[in-house]
Amino acid sequence: MKTSPAKTTFTQHEILQLAADLVSFAQVRGADEVEVAISQGEEFNVDIRHQEIENLTQAQTWGASVRLFKDNKIASASSSDLRPETMQNLIANALQRLELTQEDPWNGLPEATFSFFSPEKLELYDPQIKEIPIEKKIELARQTEKIALSDKRITNSHGASFSCAELFHALANSQGFVGSYQETSFSLAVGLQAGETDNRAEDYWGHSSRVFERLEKPEEIARRAVARTVRLLNPRKISTQQVPIVFEPEMTSWLLGFLFSCVSGTAIYQQTSFLVGKLGKKIAGSNIEVVDDGLMPGKLGSRPFDQEGVPCQRTQVINQGRLDSYLLDTYSARRLKLKSTGNAGGGGVRPNNFYLLPGSKPPDKFISQLPQGFLLVRTIGHGLNPVTGEISRGAFGLWIEKGEIAFPVAEVTISGNLQDVLHQVVFIGQDLEFRSPICGPTIGVEGLTVAGN
Amino acid sequence: MKNQENTPPVEEQKLVFPFQLADSDSQEIISTALARGGWLAEIFLEYTQFHHLLMEDDIIKETDESIRLGAGLRVLEEEKSGFAYTNDLGKETLLKAARAAAMIASSASTPTNSPPFPIPGSLSFERKIPPHALYPHQDPLPSSLEAKIKLVQETYQTAFKVHPHIKKVRVSLVETLQQVTIINSEGLIVSDQRPMIKLVCLAIAEKGARREVGLAGDGGRIDLVHLNRHNLGQRIGQEAATEALQLLEARPAPAGEMPVVLAPGQGGVLLHEAVGHLLEADFIRKKTSIFWNKLNQLVANPQVTIVDDPTIPHFRGSYNIDDEGTIPQKTHLIHQGQVVGFLQDRLSARVLKQNSTGHGRRQDYSCLPLPRMSNTYLDRGEYLPEEILKSIKKGLYACHFQGGQVEDSGKFTFSLSSGYLIEDGHLTAPVKQVTLIGSNLKVLRDIEMVGNDLLFSDQVGSCGKEGQTIPVTDGCPTVKIKNLTVGGML
Repeated sequence: MKTSPAKTTFTQHEILQLAADLVSFAQVRGADEVEVAISQGEEFNVDIRHQEIENLTQAQTWGASVRLFKDNKIASASSSDLRPETMQNLIANALQRLELTQEDPWNGLPEATFSFFSPEKLELYDPQIKEIPIEKKIELARQTEKIALSDKRITNSHGASFSCAELFHALANSQGFVGSYQETSFSLAVGLQAGETDNRAEDYWGHSSRVFERLEKPEEIARRAVARTVRLLNPRKISTQQVPIVFEPEMTSWLLGFLFSCVSGTAIYQQTSFLVGKLGKKIAGSNIEVVDDGLMPGKLGSRPFDQEGVPCQRTQVINQGRLDSYLLDTYSARRLKLKSTGNAGGGGVRPNNFYLLPGSKPPDKFISQLPQGFLLVRTIGHGLNPVTGEISRGAFGLWIEKGEIAFPVAEVTISGNLQDVLHQVVFIGQDLEFRSPICGPTIGVEGLTVAGN
Repeated sequence: MKNQENTPPVEEQKLVFPFQLADSDSQEIISTALARGGWLAEIFLEYTQFHHLLMEDDIIKETDESIRLGAGLRVLEEEKSGFAYTNDLGKETLLKAARAAAMIASSASTPTNSPPFPIPGSLSFERKIPPHALYPHQDPLPSSLEAKIKLVQETYQTAFKVHPHIKKVRVSLVETLQQVTIINSEGLIVSDQRPMIKLVCLAIAEKGARREVGLAGDGGRIDLVHLNRHNLGQRIGQEAATEALQLLEARPAPAGEMPVVLAPGQGGVLLHEAVGHLLEADFIRKKTSIFWNKLNQLVANPQVTIVDDPTIPHFRGSYNIDDEGTIPQKTHLIHQGQVVGFLQDRLSARVLKQNSTGHGRRQDYSCLPLPRMSNTYLDRGEYLPEEILKSIKKGLYACHFQGGQVEDSGKFTFSLSSGYLIEDGHLTAPVKQVTLIGSNLKVLRDIEMVGNDLLFSDQVGSCGKEGQTIPVTDGCPTVKIKNLTVGGML
């Protein structure tokens, strides 16, 4: 934050001091335990549409959240108004509310921890963020859209965007934990349409990175966005049937997102997951290995410690099809008589890098052997039920005939149940890329229904 | 929050409404924002308080109080928006934000932190009072924690008592007060205080190995006492438990194309997705919506009239002014099957040479306004609901909606947690977890019968667009769609 000319940002030292002061204030006012998290950041975004700047946004943000415990009761508060009197009022109000709520023996801060993985070694912060000229940021978005629009099949653009942000996170609690780290993110994306007004296809492509130099180049983003969009032109409907479904990596990630919501300790203790009571049991085929790992250098989901100051770790969630671990924060861990896995987020469990381990073969090998199949490229809608595992979504994809892509398909739905899907993965590709905190490679799944005509 | 305790702590008090910009400061900030040109500069100030209460495991488990304070500075030049936001409302920070927003109006390639800042004395402000008063205005968060706890407990206990199969209940109550002030370079200063309450109950039923979840909720821009007059807690607890129990008996939906009947009320989400979004004027001016070239064209069965009305008292989607300070108007989108209007914010209205309809909304100070829906409904038709059911030999009755999504190309889905089969004109077996998919021009033509029983959904709905979530309400009468793809199981 040193380079910021405004007087109105906090230094890192000031933020840590404010967090410590608020912890003391709450303790003096009678809290048994206190936790204070404060973040401060700067954000930039530019949207380019038809080669003109559409939106140019710059922001300077901060916010704090506080959790108070007394007599095994909890009250919390958060604010983007960091003035001391506001924060002190919020703490006083929270202590007041505690009088009217009830005891919960599992409440409380985690055991004291004083060591965590070095934020520097996690490569979360790229100092170059302070040096990229604004013209270069604008140009990256402009170039990306320009290259995409130069393809004659592209008939309209949702625009290209470049954004970057840097954030400083500090956490202090009454157990003596004090930790902080900085992180950066950069992203570049473009959304496109192909075809004429009443018969359009649309899609997008983008990339995010913590390090500017590793951000995919405009040529690569534009090329993939164009290819993804035009392949959906002139779709057909197919008849209702069960057919092998090939999930592209983004779709595997989507499926894993649903799996995450079912292995979350919060869902388990609340009994809103079909995986309640399944710990140690076989829930998937032996080919399924799922890991959550917060300590992978440079990855988007990495962090040294979680929202409660518990050090992040590598957790094998599914091991050869067996459910080895839920993902837990301190509260859900205590409820379930387990140990926190370092997955506390603001107000619940969140993934670190949650991924399906890749196989050894390229996806083309699998597709070329399919007499018929459906390559799933996008789903829309709601229709995921963690309590039952049911999946029901609108789908876009490509029909596979005799091992080759035959034609695009739209206006169909896919449905099935995650409980079954986990046993019906017949292929796992080698193409795992960590493009988002939740990710997986191409997979082939049998037994899902595609509903059409 | 009011405090009913005998010994209030010294600090326990209403937090002071924290933004009072002196006119001279506003003038300087606006002038700074316009220093490089532009047709509008605007300061959007927001102070929002949230109070949340959660009950599960038979106890009042969590309470949370949150404050959102921030300012968004916007400069519009032609179709371009320069925008900056901050959580610090000090004058120096706001001036810095104004300079950042102003960059849009220069050649953009040579930003600098020290352009000249002329301060025209000509800008004078007029404080406007909105003509609508759609919700309680004075004492903003009047409900005591005790009153809220009582309501939550009542809901919780009602759900449990419905049946021994109910094994788990969770109830949350969120009370919000959003206060916004909009100051712009046309001399406007206008404020709105928007209250909101939302009570939601989740119930899980178990029978043998089967577990199902039911959800219900209600609320609105209304105070707790007024809201609770109709035994709200009992009704919501009952509804959530009943849906969970009903799902225990439900089977997977059939798969394939079939006639679909939308239940009155919640079925409005289909119109919201299939039609409403694509009549938002940003998609029209960008020509990404399939409706961009269809003004005055007949696109639907003449029974179809679709309206968006931000001025219905106490509804979630209502507001006295939109987030650009425009007074909202009830807006006809489709009249007797013909496209007659779009939902406009100021930017789209200017590009399309129309007036804003007062539909410029933003999630919060950190977001640019977009044309959005408010309370959207399909107007009543002539058919009796029984006549509509009778016309169907085999089909699906859609009643509990989870939500939907649409792409600009017109493909949309919406999902049901539960519904019923229609066989020979009657509702028969309950079915669960269904996704319906269609394309909007086709579904508009396929609306065959519109009932006379217009209802609005419960006041819990939200709508997401470009990452911004805002409260909305949908409504419709019983509606028959000739043919829609139902995504069930084989």
